[in-house]
Amino acid sequence: MTDAALAEAAFLNVADPDFSIRSQQVKDARALNWYAHTPYGLAVLRYDEVQKMLRHPKLRQGSHLWPQHNGVTEGKFATWWCNMLLCVEGDTHARLRRMANPAFSPKLIADLQPKFQVLANRLIDAFIDRGECDFIAEFTEPYATGVICDLLGLPFEKWRELADIAADMGLALGVTFKEDLPKIEAAVARLFDYAEELAADREAHPSEDFIGLLVKANRENPDQLSRQEMLDMIVLAIFGGIDTTRNQIGLAMDMFVQHPDQWALLGQRPDLAKAAVEEVMRTRPTTTWVTRAATEDFEFQGLKIAEGTTLHLWGQAAAMDPAAMENAETFDITAARKPHFGFGGGTHHCLGHFIARGDMTAALALMAARMKNPRYAGEVVWLPDSGNTGAVTMPLAFDKV
Amino acid sequence: MKLHVDMSICLLHGQCVIAAPQVFSFNADGGLVWLADCDESLRADVEAAADACPEQAIVIDG
Repeated sequence: MTDAALAEAAFLNVADPDFSIRSQQVKDARALNWYAHTPYGLAVLRYDEVQKMLRHPKLRQGSHLWPQHNGVTEGKFATWWCNMLLCVEGDTHARLRRMANPAFSPKLIADLQPKFQVLANRLIDAFIDRGECDFIAEFTEPYATGVICDLLGLPFEKWRELADIAADMGLALGVTFKEDLPKIEAAVARLFDYAEELAADREAHPSEDFIGLLVKANRENPDQLSRQEMLDMIVLAIFGGIDTTRNQIGLAMDMFVQHPDQWALLGQRPDLAKAAVEEVMRTRPTTTWVTRAATEDFEFQGLKIAEGTTLHLWGQAAAMDPAAMENAETFDITAARKPHFGFGGGTHHCLGHFIARGDMTAALALMAARMKNPRYAGEVVWLPDSGNTGAVTMPLAFDKV
Repeated sequence: MKLHVDMSICLLHGQCVIAAPQVFSFNADGGLVWLADCDESLRADVEAAADACPEQAIVIDG
């Protein structure tokens, strides 16, 4: 590609905490070209290109470079991060994914569905009479964490501690990673203590739940799943499940506060909850981009991409591209949509998506039925808009049904 | 055992290739190929692949 042609792509300063991936600047960059330059490498902004790049054979999952990009090269977080499922490739990835998949199968998740409803109702019961709540502290955090407690066989009472750890650890995925490092390291240490405790319990008392199956796999096939890999996986399950779901349900509420007609419709038609989850994740995903890195020099649509280049695939920008689908910028839970990229895609497609889809569907259906006219009752505090985003606090008022 | 993949919903994530590499693979063009009729000894792998498929595009016919 010539220098002149390269100049036709925008530069987006995503490292700035005030940068918004939903800004006009991003829409302009997307209209200008399928990619833009960023301080990290390239941003891929359009639907077809993101779709292809997610599974391109010359690209690997690129999140292993995230700590390094932020000047973090050692410590508990960086060690765990670079060795866990998301950041390994090839045979190692396939082996670990095979060990993990059965514990997340749709059949096992279906059995948890009634528990999701019990949990959601219990949390709504606690604030429904007040007509207001902090939606993050009183619903999305305890709900996302409670779901993980159910999955891991932990008592619900553990949720507070786990949620705090996950929130601290989640800072590692934001653009303020480096300055938050001491907090992050402490959280990782506590989470590994938890994983050790859970594993030791199942080693003493074998069971057939998620942890029990991993412990069994480690005992029977230590060459397929070492003890360290098992602990890394438990930490990933806790961390990956809590932070993302907590943020995603908060983002869902934000969309519905802005689109009250859609919430009213969902209240009348709980059968739309499943589609509502997909539409929320298309338009307002917590994971605003996924990362890939070039494993060798290659050319893509005329652009030369050098080995080692980091590419961020901007799922939200791509799935809201007016060129990709009709009324792409409209939030409409009844519209037929192309698949979104909220769970990534390809070999690293989100492991926990069945459970996430199931628990969010249950939560949205129950909330829309019980809480009418949700609106903000104070200032919503947000994480930075890029990377993994979401609300920190969300004062919400509503009318009790 | 017989199986097929609904290519109208398959998004080529490749989870089946990981779960059952003897049954599913990608060809040189990146397309998915699979054994439509495979040995019963591979049933556990094929069922794991069907479970793991994010789009639930794999149908086992018996």
